[in-house]
Amino acid sequence: MRDTVFRETTAEPRTQSVPLSHLSLELGHLYMEDFEAGPGRLREHFAEVRIWVDAARASAARRTGGKRPRISTCFLIDDYFTRFSTPAELVPVVLAEAEKAGLVIDYLARESGCAVADRIELAESVMHRLVESPPPGSYGSRPPVSQTGWLANGQRTPATRSALSDAKAWVPPQETAARNHSVFMDAELWSEKDGRRLWSCPFLAAVWQLARLGLLRHLGEPVLTPRPWDGAGFPPDWDRLPPLLQLNPAATPFSAYRTCTLMPNRFLAVEDAVRLILDQVDVDSGALKQVAERSAREGAEVPAAVAQRATYVFYEEPTNSLTTEGT
Amino acid sequence: MTTASGQSARPVLACGEVRTCLLPSFQPLDGRAAAQLLRLRADEQVRVSERPNLYALSPEVLTGIDCRLPTSNGAKVRAVGTVAARAALTEGRVLQATAHFSAPAAGPDLRRPWGDYLVRPGLVESFGKLPEQAAAEGALRGGGRGELDLGMIAEGLLAQLLRHPLLDHKAPFKSRRTHLRWAARRVPPGEAPSLERFTLAEDGLRTVELKVPEDTPTAAVAGLCEDLALHDWLLTTVVHMLDNSRLGAADGPSAVLALRPAVDHLLHLWMPRAHVDRTLGHLWDVLEREPGFTRQWRNLVQRIRDQLAVQAIPLLHQALSTR
Amino acid sequence: MLIFAASDKGGTGRSVTSANLAYHRALAGDDVCYLDFDFGSPTATAVFDVPDARQAAEDRGLHAYLIGEVSEPVRVDVWADTEHHVLRNRPSGSGRLVLMPGDLSGGEFATTDDNLHRCVDLLLRLNSEFDVIVVDLSAGRSYAVDMVLEATSQRELSGVDARWLVFHRWTRQHVAAAAGLVYGKRGIVAGGVARGHDEDTLRGAIRFVRAAVPDPESALWSQVSATQSAWMRACDRDLKQLASTLGIGYSQVLGSVPLEPVLQWREQLITDEDVLDSQIATMETWRALSDLAGRLTDDKYWEQA
Repeated sequence: MRDTVFRETTAEPRTQSVPLSHLSLELGHLYMEDFEAGPGRLREHFAEVRIWVDAARASAARRTGGKRPRISTCFLIDDYFTRFSTPAELVPVVLAEAEKAGLVIDYLARESGCAVADRIELAESVMHRLVESPPPGSYGSRPPVSQTGWLANGQRTPATRSALSDAKAWVPPQETAARNHSVFMDAELWSEKDGRRLWSCPFLAAVWQLARLGLLRHLGEPVLTPRPWDGAGFPPDWDRLPPLLQLNPAATPFSAYRTCTLMPNRFLAVEDAVRLILDQVDVDSGALKQVAERSAREGAEVPAAVAQRATYVFYEEPTNSLTTEGT
Repeated sequence: MTTASGQSARPVLACGEVRTCLLPSFQPLDGRAAAQLLRLRADEQVRVSERPNLYALSPEVLTGIDCRLPTSNGAKVRAVGTVAARAALTEGRVLQATAHFSAPAAGPDLRRPWGDYLVRPGLVESFGKLPEQAAAEGALRGGGRGELDLGMIAEGLLAQLLRHPLLDHKAPFKSRRTHLRWAARRVPPGEAPSLERFTLAEDGLRTVELKVPEDTPTAAVAGLCEDLALHDWLLTTVVHMLDNSRLGAADGPSAVLALRPAVDHLLHLWMPRAHVDRTLGHLWDVLEREPGFTRQWRNLVQRIRDQLAVQAIPLLHQALSTR
Repeated sequence: MLIFAASDKGGTGRSVTSANLAYHRALAGDDVCYLDFDFGSPTATAVFDVPDARQAAEDRGLHAYLIGEVSEPVRVDVWADTEHHVLRNRPSGSGRLVLMPGDLSGGEFATTDDNLHRCVDLLLRLNSEFDVIVVDLSAGRSYAVDMVLEATSQRELSGVDARWLVFHRWTRQHVAAAAGLVYGKRGIVAGGVARGHDEDTLRGAIRFVRAAVPDPESALWSQVSATQSAWMRACDRDLKQLASTLGIGYSQVLGSVPLEPVLQWREQLITDEDVLDSQIATMETWRALSDLAGRLTDDKYWEQA
């Protein structure tokens, strides 16, 4: 067939690809209270993480069939829910403690970058891509129990009718994909305070996973792209720290076919909610296709479902931290 | 792993429904406004073409379904997956919403994790074997209570767009929506696509049966059916306008007044296959032979122009006599 | 144009009169849609004499649509589906006449944002298709009244003309009740303002229709005694005085419908055959309905007093 002579750029969608590693390995996802506990706490954390890092590397190597896998490491600091100290003070401490444990942090990210990065509302965009898992009987109507700001893995208990109607027995909620019995989960995606939307920790973490999996685009362009570090100091203000900073110039690409996240076991519920969200996001199909094709070409084919690409190691928290913990 | 098993399942059937209506705004929208209207997602671009006419196409959005498929023989087939919906605006004047899905010949007997469905947008899997013929006929007939309702999904998208603040709801004339349901059976790659049947039913319902090679994307089939629906709507609307104008019966000026909106807003919209996939454009030929869509359109246009010319004669006469 | 038909009490002939107005507009060439929002006691299928539609609308009517069970409410093409022998012959030059019946099983229901959205979507959609949309609302400050007040206060419907007809009988109690329905503390105006309607605009869009009005000058009463006649005139005068005091005087009235047994008892459309051939209905009634129908869109009758 003859090629077209006439083209219009605005009529042709394009999705730019991003460079990809085999594995994006997260060395920590720490909140301000973890830093408040002092460098000793960080040291404990990295010492524990170090053990699992080796295991994760070994696992990745097994998947690449003996070839040396491209693995990039990252570290996320919460500056969204609470603000503490400054990058100038805090980041060098983190880097020093990691180095002592024999770890290199390739990329440093701020949590608020998952909400808005470079003036692009990432979280908002991901929210518009939620496609709720339909309970049986969904024939195209809007889900009757859809609750704004919440996402569940099944059908909620119906709201009780007026007091006048005959008393109804309690109806249990039901997990859609239940095997025999339900494990029902309902995750809050955001809350509103003073007209401002506060994204929940699981929702921002889901955005973070999508970024690490190379599946976020804005109008076809990559977002949350790493900015190189000039090697000088860090700014005195969190807002002036790039949302994603590449600390190690020799690092393999930030995004990867798979992610592995190492974190204290108190995050188990949060990350379960992250999986719940990832399982109901309709990600950019262009990006999805690029990742699938390239991983297959490299002999490291990704699981079809996005949520399946994220793995975790939940480790026991250092005991001294329990006293300061309120979570 | 259960995930990879259904990956390569080839679709054997694609079904859809297009709803076509006049954009309820006093002025047609320009390209920028059209893109704004159809921006269903903040992070995804609206495709806008300016040649050979102004045409904007939204990104596709998904709706999850888990219900029975309508079947002509009453077979109960449960299906799970996502229906894709999209909207198109032609010359800033005619708005269309389409809901469509593809279905493979068979699916697993258990529902998969939802994420497995989401990575195959617009695919609906039956539990067990899909009764192709019955499902295709069922889709054209439309769903009963509780069965997959593509019309509802298309209507939902249309309603969402019509609430957009860009629209003033001061349309220049009243017009009816049309619904066009289509079903495309898949044939092996290399075989020629064909339009098997186009049926004009009551209440603005039209149905189209197609045969399309497997390697033709469902979106391209949807595009062809949108093009057919658009031109059928134009014919339907202008015929109704001529009926209502009571040409001949009503006094001249009032008939002209009734026809004026057609001249202002519709006559320039006729352009079959302007944005149809190249491999499917020739499916128009059969409709041009019989009943002859373009032939009817030319005739309508001629009638309107003649009427306007006739009405202009007294004015001309008047102008000459008062000189 | 949206026309909402409301009344404080039952028995005002609201449904049957507004149906007749829809019929007259269609006869005049408009495409007309009639919506039965009288949830709980849908009567429109009887008025238009479309008994089959009653079954069809059992669970696919307006109620099922508003609660999201069906994508579109059932439509009945009155000209095609009616069993009324006169209506079946659609006059040439007439417009479409479509009925959207209520469900047999549907009662009142709670307002949710979803219901409201669907109501707005439906009105927008019908507005793009029909010249006149008559919405028959259940009596009193009902759920139906609240819903359309809420719907018309939405930004999406701000560009669509909406007018209200409040039907009442010509008695002291009904006059007072109609005034209360519109201007009372929990009335339509107060309810509309609370939902963001502009008070003057809303007041300007409401007119009253006096139903079942005995005309003392009519031939019907020509046989009554002089005393009776004088008494009737006095009552009529007093009622006019009362209506005027309550703010629903002459300038707020769109028209009157005479006391007409066919409307009261048969509760069906009055056709020209009823007037001309069988002569069971009077010419006055036919003319009153025709005038009222014309005034619905005649701005002269809707100017601010």
